[in-house]
Amino acid sequence: MQRLFSSIYKEFLVLIRDRAGLAILFIMPLVLILIMTLIQDASFRSVKEVNISMILVNNDNDSLGQAITDGLYESEFFQIVEKIDGKKITEEQAKELVATGDYKIGIIIPERATDAIRGNVKALINKSFKTFKVPGVKKRTKKSTIDVTIYIDPATSQSFKNSVMSSLKEFTSQLEIEMFFKNFSEALAQLMPDQKPIKFESFETIKYKEVYASTTQDEIMPNSVQHNVPAWTMFAMFFIVLPLAGNIIKERDDGSAFRLKTMPGSFVTIMFSKIFVFLGVAFLQFILMLLVGVYIMPLMGLPQLEIGPHKIALGVMAISSGLAATGYGVALGTIATTHEQAATFGAVSIIIFAALGGIWVPVYVMPHTIRIISQFSPLHWGLNGFYDIFLRGGDLMVVLAETAKLLLFFVFMLLIAVVYNNYNKTK
Amino acid sequence: MQEKEQIIEIKYLTKFYKGSNVPAIDNISLNINKGEIYGLLGPNGAGKTTTISILCGLFGPTSGSVFIDGMEYQNSADKIKSIIGVVPQEIALYPSLTAKENLTFFGHMYGLKGKELKNRIKECLELFGLEKNANRRIKTFSGGMKRRINIIAGILHKPKIIYLDEPTVGVDVQSRNVILEHLKKINEEGTTIIYTSHYMEEAENFCSRVAIIDKGNILTEGKPKDLINSKEEYSDLESIFLHITGRALRDE
Repeated sequence: MQRLFSSIYKEFLVLIRDRAGLAILFIMPLVLILIMTLIQDASFRSVKEVNISMILVNNDNDSLGQAITDGLYESEFFQIVEKIDGKKITEEQAKELVATGDYKIGIIIPERATDAIRGNVKALINKSFKTFKVPGVKKRTKKSTIDVTIYIDPATSQSFKNSVMSSLKEFTSQLEIEMFFKNFSEALAQLMPDQKPIKFESFETIKYKEVYASTTQDEIMPNSVQHNVPAWTMFAMFFIVLPLAGNIIKERDDGSAFRLKTMPGSFVTIMFSKIFVFLGVAFLQFILMLLVGVYIMPLMGLPQLEIGPHKIALGVMAISSGLAATGYGVALGTIATTHEQAATFGAVSIIIFAALGGIWVPVYVMPHTIRIISQFSPLHWGLNGFYDIFLRGGDLMVVLAETAKLLLFFVFMLLIAVVYNNYNKTK
Repeated sequence: MQEKEQIIEIKYLTKFYKGSNVPAIDNISLNINKGEIYGLLGPNGAGKTTTISILCGLFGPTSGSVFIDGMEYQNSADKIKSIIGVVPQEIALYPSLTAKENLTFFGHMYGLKGKELKNRIKECLELFGLEKNANRRIKTFSGGMKRRINIIAGILHKPKIIYLDEPTVGVDVQSRNVILEHLKKINEEGTTIIYTSHYMEEAENFCSRVAIIDKGNILTEGKPKDLINSKEEYSDLESIFLHITGRALRDE
């Protein structure tokens, strides 16, 4: 035990004496989590909150143009730009402004678009009423198409494009219904002159109620902070692999490992002391990142992180994730022969684990094969566990499976390191 | 005449590294007696480091056996490791720790503790003239001071055998004298020293016996004076060394 304690104390001293390294260990994850949450916050907010600028060229100057213009203004989804330097924007200008990326989207409503809709509606009604031979109703049945042109910046995301298209479709279909109803009621009035004209009223028959499913009584509101803090905390904690592997390689390079190997005591004792100290660092990083979510993020206009009632589950998940990360660091440091190997392989493998784990793109939208592979990413287990706690209100029992997987990964990594170390002795 | 007590017995030791069909050491046998200063001399790639590594228990031989104080690594690795002290050629210390912190850590690893360890650190630091620098970090030390602390870390637990790999490389004459003087003192107290060096003059004066090895074989072995007197053309250990290992440059 004395060897283990002394080794832990030595690792602690080596760590705290490296001020720059220590600052990097704690400051970089905090910077990462803040920046990533701020960036990702936009995608979690509604389009309305983001308020994207959009060019509108209304050449119709009638009901359709007015309906789209009013709809866009009223929706407050977009910041509508119709004039530049006091002059109305032309279609050519709009196309150029979107093409250069100055605006994400430009909508061009053509001339006489409303007339065309009216004609189409009348044609439809005429077709319906032609058997009644309603006086005054023309025999027009020919339909004409209306092309509302939408210029889109190729860099625009598909989801944003979809939300604009669905908004436009909503405005135009509303107008079409109104026009149809108006013309229908006029035609009906001609058939039955004694009846009072019917007034059009829009109404919603189906309403949607959004409820976030949770295993607890308290509904946890998913937001950018609840999603991003656990995700990036997991990612940052895994980066402990690099300084830990570097520590092992440095000890080997400067000959201390050689001296230690000639002393009584096992390789495992030395590695456990490193694991203990670096696990402490990972746990401290975790606490600091949570504190940033609770106290610093609200000061930056972000929602406050809700830790929830299951703090023991959270602690167990943090320790399991830390152990998985330190185990990986020990294996990497034992196998890699140079700092360059460890740094490159370590960083890239963590990014791959993170990508597979669903840190950037949710696992459920990944292709089938990748979804299967992602089941073997420790970051996937960790992220799932944290989501269970932060978003689904899960307790210790809920995260038990993820915890077990992370601990098994730790043991497996340690075994790899021990086997490789023993294999080296037989070289 | 009383037979000298052996502390190290090497029997038909051979080592092939994986992927190599040339032996790093080839069927060597030698005995080292208690209280000797035994020099392993040879050009680069001769097999000195491989021999020392096997003696330290870093890895095993391909064939042959090593007995240290009557014990073998297969059965008594920790016991053997507690009676040996290793002074590597590299400064195998933690630069950000002080001399005292380094020595305390390595002392604990050897199983020393409490007052015994404290007194031993004080004693060793005084012996090597470093007592005033006990609380300075290693990275602030001169090359000679680092070498001395490097040696202390290997002798702190009063081992029966000390392996010294080029203990005076890169140090000034003053530091070299201090180091060799104190190592002699330690040897006089009964400690066996196994020593490697490229400094032939130093080896000639320091060692009680030497073995010149090359290409994994022991070419000659004996007391430096006896070896020098064995042929007329030999004037010193260096002339023997060059005569039997050749003048061609060696790679690692």
